[in-house]
Amino acid sequence: MTANAPALPPFWSLVEAHGDELLAHARRVAGPEHAEDVLQDAFLRALRAYPRLRHGEHLRAWLYRVTTTAAIDAHRSRPRERPVGEPPEVGVSDDVDADGAFEALIAPLPEAAREPLRLRFVEDLDYDHIAGRLGCSPQAARQRVSTAVRTLRERHAA
Amino acid sequence: MTPLPDSLLEAVASAAVREGLADAVFTRLNTPIGKLLVVQGPEGIARIGFEEEPEDALLAGVAAELGPRVVASDRELAAARDAISSYLEGDASVLDLPVDLRFVHAPFRRAVLETLHDTVRRGEVVTYGKLAERSGNPRAFRAAATACARNPVPLVVPCHRVLPSTGGIGNYGGGVARKRVLLELEGAL
Repeated sequence: MTANAPALPPFWSLVEAHGDELLAHARRVAGPEHAEDVLQDAFLRALRAYPRLRHGEHLRAWLYRVTTTAAIDAHRSRPRERPVGEPPEVGVSDDVDADGAFEALIAPLPEAAREPLRLRFVEDLDYDHIAGRLGCSPQAARQRVSTAVRTLRERHAA
Repeated sequence: MTPLPDSLLEAVASAAVREGLADAVFTRLNTPIGKLLVVQGPEGIARIGFEEEPEDALLAGVAAELGPRVVASDRELAAARDAISSYLEGDASVLDLPVDLRFVHAPFRRAVLETLHDTVRRGEVVTYGKLAERSGNPRAFRAAATACARNPVPLVVPCHRVLPSTGGIGNYGGGVARKRVLLELEGAL
């Protein structure tokens, strides 16, 4: 180990120390059905980033954040389920969050933060359309989504 | 709180190995000479700890030497587990696993352990002096003894087969009782 390298603990000691609570966290943010896949993805993301961490502090909170981000990305990439043969609906469709996992994830936030998140991640709108729905500029829409995501990460890391 | 399923941990470790994300892989193994912790490095077995050695310190040493991306997997180390178990249970006559000696920094100590690994077979014993001689420096028997005392991969590098020229069984990093058990298993006592 070089003199200025951070003294990071062996990765697996974090997994063994915090794995159970991270699984509980993944259930809360991704729903029981997706929790294990999300956590597996989160551990691999964490492993990829691990040697680049600049210090060995707050590793538990960092793992919570990585798990939350993995849950959000998994939610975004999940195929929307629609009845075969029906054209895609424009606008809100209740079944994209059929298990309520996304609403549960964003529940701790104020409505002003929840709405931009729903438009972006549930309805999958681009920022021009989000701006139209929120009655603001696309730049402001982007800002509101990004602030809401950051707040969400902080809430779940706390 | 629901505990993390083993299947999830194995899946993470296997994916990490597949993607080249693991600096080291370890496994815990129950054997007739107690619990062992076996660590695989890039080129072979890099570290074996007996149960008296605190696991936290051992794994911290592994992270410092090989890198912090240390994962556990019984599946990835299945071949090494089988080889060690069979040997210690008396079902296999040879324990032949590749070793990774990067924990040993001093060149002569490294030469001693390589010589020991390559030349001293089951049932044979060698003195520290003889081992020093075979490693290229007949007068360095104390250095040879130090190399054995600090052997990071006991069993696979068979430092239990090295005895003092003054007679007796000598010392062993894993305790003299274990050394005796191993030599008896191998028919050398």
